[in-house]
Amino acid sequence: MSVREPEFAIADSCFLIDWARFRHRDVLFKLFRTVFVPEAVLREVKSESTLAWIASNLAKGHLALYTETSEVISEATDIVEDSRRTQHLVAVELPEAICLVVGRRRGYVVLTENRGLILYSRTSSKYEDVVIWRALEIIAMAILRRFLRVDCNDLEARFREYEEDTKHLFPRRDLARVVGILGSELCGLR
Amino acid sequence: MGRSSAGYDELIKRYLEEEAEAKEIRRRYADWDFIRRQPLRVRAALEYYVETGDIRRACLIAGMDLEDFRELLRKANVPVVV
Repeated sequence: MSVREPEFAIADSCFLIDWARFRHRDVLFKLFRTVFVPEAVLREVKSESTLAWIASNLAKGHLALYTETSEVISEATDIVEDSRRTQHLVAVELPEAICLVVGRRRGYVVLTENRGLILYSRTSSKYEDVVIWRALEIIAMAILRRFLRVDCNDLEARFREYEEDTKHLFPRRDLARVVGILGSELCGLR
Repeated sequence: MGRSSAGYDELIKRYLEEEAEAKEIRRRYADWDFIRRQPLRVRAALEYYVETGDIRRACLIAGMDLEDFRELLRKANVPVVV
């Protein structure tokens, strides 16, 4: 995990739907100058509370709509088809595939909680260099950059809050690894 | 996909190990009484999700959109493990 400061990200539906429930959700806009939301992703968001958060941040310029071109859609369609041909485990659908394509073409960080997309990017030489962050990495980065405060005696607190707010669980091994990094970087723990 | 077969196999093996742990967590946390009370199609979708973690196909089975199905998972106490 590097502390390099990316300016732009692109978010998929699975990420936005959960992240919008997080009590510290606006910390996202301290990490990124702009978070793009593809139109295909926005069309999947239905709840008034999530839409209100998105609309408010579109108005402030923290979020921006990404209008996918026919070229992007064509490449994303190839991903969907390829994932169905070669990856029988978890489906990749067009909205998150669009995020992966734009992430590669523009160098944006892809924000997702979609297991299919994460697996696809890891197993594809074309997309393996795309930076993908889950909520786990976003919260960790916000803590490392001191946008979220932590107590060295309870480094898991912010992650626990996310789990409580969203009913999402971080894989324990991944959480332990991230908390280890935070303890070492911020609290001098070994 | 353009990867060596050994590298691909190793990634899939690791993924399957992670997924086995996630499935165990979903099974343990799930409110099975709530799931059994659902209409057959919704119940099948929830059971499919618990077994696979594949929210896209689970939505198709349930005939629900993504956000409504995510809310249903919360009601059924089935965590998303990612």
